[in-house]
Amino acid sequence: MNNPVIIKGNKYGIVVVLDDLMKFDELKEKIAEKFRDSSKFFSKAQMAVSFEGRKLSNEEQREILDIIAEETELHVVCVIEDDPQKEAVFKKALDEKLMELSNATGQFYKGNLRSGQVLESETSIIVIGDVNPGARIVSKGNIIVLGSLKGTVFAGATGNTNSFVVSLDMNPVQIRIADTIARSPDKPIKEEKKETKIAFLEDGNIYIETLNKEVLNDINL
Amino acid sequence: MGEVIVVTSGKGGVGKTTSTANIGTGLAKLDKKVVLIDTDIGLRNLDVVMGLENRIVYNLVDVIEGNCRIKQALIKDKRYPNLYLLPSAQTRDKTSVTPEQMKKLADELREEFDYILMDCPAGIEQGFKNAIAGADRALVVSTPEVSAVRDADRIIGLLEASEIKQTHLIVNRLRSDMVKRGDMMSSDDVVEILAVDLIGVVPDDENIVISTNQGEPLVGSDTLAGQAYMNISRRIIGEEVPYLDLNGKQGLFSKLASLLKKN
Repeated sequence: MNNPVIIKGNKYGIVVVLDDLMKFDELKEKIAEKFRDSSKFFSKAQMAVSFEGRKLSNEEQREILDIIAEETELHVVCVIEDDPQKEAVFKKALDEKLMELSNATGQFYKGNLRSGQVLESETSIIVIGDVNPGARIVSKGNIIVLGSLKGTVFAGATGNTNSFVVSLDMNPVQIRIADTIARSPDKPIKEEKKETKIAFLEDGNIYIETLNKEVLNDINL
Repeated sequence: MGEVIVVTSGKGGVGKTTSTANIGTGLAKLDKKVVLIDTDIGLRNLDVVMGLENRIVYNLVDVIEGNCRIKQALIKDKRYPNLYLLPSAQTRDKTSVTPEQMKKLADELREEFDYILMDCPAGIEQGFKNAIAGADRALVVSTPEVSAVRDADRIIGLLEASEIKQTHLIVNRLRSDMVKRGDMMSSDDVVEILAVDLIGVVPDDENIVISTNQGEPLVGSDTLAGQAYMNISRRIIGEEVPYLDLNGKQGLFSKLASLLKKN
């Protein structure tokens, strides 16, 4: 590589592409040179930096940041990592947090959902009205229907197995929670009386039970 | 190599979906491997009539758009293991699918099934064009009413123009008592107007309403409509079956017998 240090930039930050083979001490020289040359161009900008092309230890990263601070007036706000392993960890942590959030925060929808209508929600959803056969609710969190549920519902759409479905009159065609699907019985059961029921996932099965105190105690948001 | 049959009518409410469900089930009873395709995107019904609504995960549009494999979308019937349903999408419309895509799908299914039955939507627009795209033959359903016959005539014209080789007529919901009184067209009258071969006459039977509501096709049962549909299925596979005497159950004795049965 005839150019061991390349600086690429956009409005919000710069990417410093480093040679992989050169000795680190030599490389430092080159970096210093490069930033010295372009310090005028950067002046006092505030930017994010990421390093590419070479695996850097924390120590090495520190040293390079010092060089940048020394040679230019650039203010490095943060360093962005380009590490798939770490990225996966961050993504998992974020997803889990978002999942919890989607279970614990909610939106309201007033009106009946008729055949062919789909209601999708990033958070839990409370429907004030009926959900007719052929209608569909998809939520990343819980689904509460203050009315009769006769359509299809999908709670915990991003995989949250703690999600649940509550309805004043539970008669769905299909319930999905995370990756588990349950369908209505083929022979319709003569309903004794309308009761508020809850559907939840346990050991890979979806259970529907009357919503009473014991069941309520088991709910964790 | 399977045969693709489209069940169509032009007019709505004459019994396309009921006929598709019953004839398809009838063919399955005759040990044929059958798939029913609901092409009425946005107004799906066939799954309800078959009693399979609660099993739907993927649908026709998912298959066409490549969101799933055909195998994943096919629903196995709860009564006959050689009968399958490909349900339609409820949240989309007819323009989600093109005739070319339907033809390709039909040709893929042809490899594996003996009969592919397309339940066509009412009308002559995109949905109709989609349904007939891959078809080898057509069953035109009409009731003995001038409006239905008029629409059936239009449909037969369109089918001829699209080079479908075989078109047969099903006269549905015939009431022999009214025909006798001269208040309704007979099946012969309808055949005379439409000039296509008759493949079956299905009497108006309240059992149809019951079976449709329960999601259990009545083909093959000892109801008149059930026998009529079974005969149509037999004629489709090439058997010679004599026409039913639709007055059979109107006699005094059988009326008495059915009354006694009810009690």
